Amino acid sequence: MKLLPENISFDQIRQFGTFIGLILLCALFTLLSPYFLTASNLMNVAQQSAIIAVISVGMTFVIITAGIDLSVGSVLAFSGVVMASVLHAGLPLPVGILTGLAVGFACGLINGLLVTYGNIPPFIATLGMMSIARGAALWYTDGRPISGFEDSFRFLAHGDIFYIPVPVLIMIVVYALAHFVLRRTKMGRYTYAIGGNEKAARLSGVNIKFYLNIIYGTAGLLSALGAVMLTARLNSAQPVAGMMYELDAIAATVIGGTSLFGGKGSVIGTLIGALIIGVLRNGLNLLGVSSFIQQIVIGAVIIGAILLDTKLKQIKNS
Amino acid sequence: MLLTLLLSFAVQGCYKEEFPGNPTVALVVKTLNNPFFNDMQDGAEEMARKLELNLIVQAAEREIDVEQQVQIVENLIQRRVDAILLAPSGSREVIPVISKANQAGIPVIILDTRVDEELLRRDQAEVAAFIGSDNYEGGVIAATYVGEVLNGSGKVAILEGIPGHETADSRQRGFLDGISKFEGVTVVTSQTANWERSLGYNVFENILQSYPDLDAVFAASDLMALGAVEAIASSGRQQGEIVVVGFDAHQEAVEAVRNGSMHATIAQNPREIGQAGVEAASKLLNGEEVSEEITIDIGLVTQE
Repeated sequence: MKLLPENISFDQIRQFGTFIGLILLCALFTLLSPYFLTASNLMNVAQQSAIIAVISVGMTFVIITAGIDLSVGSVLAFSGVVMASVLHAGLPLPVGILTGLAVGFACGLINGLLVTYGNIPPFIATLGMMSIARGAALWYTDGRPISGFEDSFRFLAHGDIFYIPVPVLIMIVVYALAHFVLRRTKMGRYTYAIGGNEKAARLSGVNIKFYLNIIYGTAGLLSALGAVMLTARLNSAQPVAGMMYELDAIAATVIGGTSLFGGKGSVIGTLIGALIIGVLRNGLNLLGVSSFIQQIVIGAVIIGAILLDTKLKQIKNS
Repeated sequence: MLLTLLLSFAVQGCYKEEFPGNPTVALVVKTLNNPFFNDMQDGAEEMARKLELNLIVQAAEREIDVEQQVQIVENLIQRRVDAILLAPSGSREVIPVISKANQAGIPVIILDTRVDEELLRRDQAEVAAFIGSDNYEGGVIAATYVGEVLNGSGKVAILEGIPGHETADSRQRGFLDGISKFEGVTVVTSQTANWERSLGYNVFENILQSYPDLDAVFAASDLMALGAVEAIASSGRQQGEIVVVGFDAHQEAVEAVRNGSMHATIAQNPREIGQAGVEAASKLLNGEEVSEEITIDIGLVTQE
């Protein structure tokens, strides 16, 4: 394979491959459905993907450190209902939102503390949090959704700024920040270092515990941001919201080329991954494909992306 | 390889217009792995064929996933279907997307579960009609039956649906109001089993531990009732020792009533709801008037 120049990294090739996949998918749906390639439908897909995309940023950081966060969906639900109750108590909008974000960050931080000081594997710590936060959300609300909010809050889901829907704008800002942090800051370098070789990172004086806590806390914070977006969108905070979002977020991250073994990955890849899932669901809906077959296709895409990974690695190593 | 796989699936599962050129109606139910909605789908398909309309049926993977249902409706708006029949997974959460359909000029008919009237008004959203059965009335019928079978005295448990769901709340309210007429009957516990059969089993097993002298259980859906029946059997009790009343007249439950493991179930006719939905959509598309509220009869299925 002389197609691959020497000076391009594997990650770049992989990312480019995912991007080509997204483009091919869009081309396919454009061929099959006259309704796919319209400005309003593409905005529609971007809005639908925004929540999972935002949560997936936290997931990407966590997975780059060779961890996992199974609690994102439950943390979303819990921070959403707490925020909703604060708003319903008549407190100002920023207070409600900040409370929600604080709850999310706190849940994430507990995950981090369990992993760093409790020495519990991330899978188990966040599995526990998944159950605790879900239970807390149900208990806090007595299982009932909290509905009906001010227009100023709902603007966060239904408004536009310069013709761009606010959720899409939030997504872009989060990704720009995350990309900057991961590529241009000490924190980003350490994130890769922790996942690539934790021992080496520790020996070279990286305060691993501190950075891991920040990373898990941020994952919780971003879940809470997802809660803000979802609550504004549905005009309702549900204690059962966000179920299985952890799997969508992991899928977006993995399709985007982040390695579950840690040390490798990018948020741009994750964004493309989240868009691939969004485009698939949208396109299959437009085509009227049965919901059961949709699940099969999405599963096949996840496996296909990883197969592509292994193949590319073989080519690179040969 | 991946693309070919995708393509073959897409082409296979791809929806083909049965009547090219005729209007397309979309039916969005809560989930397609519940016999109640399968029956509704069958009814709708039957009527669509009869009226020569194209019908697209979609649902979220899981009954409680309102956000996915909302996304499906958004996508169908993009697909420019001519009318949407919606069985809402959440009475309040679907209102923003009903507004979107309104803006796109697509009429929305609500099936089975009512939307929240107050929020609907506040959002200035409009639904063309509601078609369903009166869940509250069904709860009352179930309570009257339980009260009579117990001769006006006994201990009763309730297995609730998902709290906050309009159907779950109405059935429960109906049952509680109905049972309050029997002074000797007390509701000892009321717990949710999330509409699920396996939870119905587990929750009812626990209830039997705490209330061994229970006389009857009202489950707000047949799936939960069937779960309770299994729990009764595994507790070593005789079949029929505890009166089990379900809701939905789901096929398996009707058989259970016939063989005596359940006493009764409330029949709503989902097939008829599906038929009436497509019929109403067709009338709307022909510019005819449709009444705002179409009630499908509800009845009691017992061994007789």
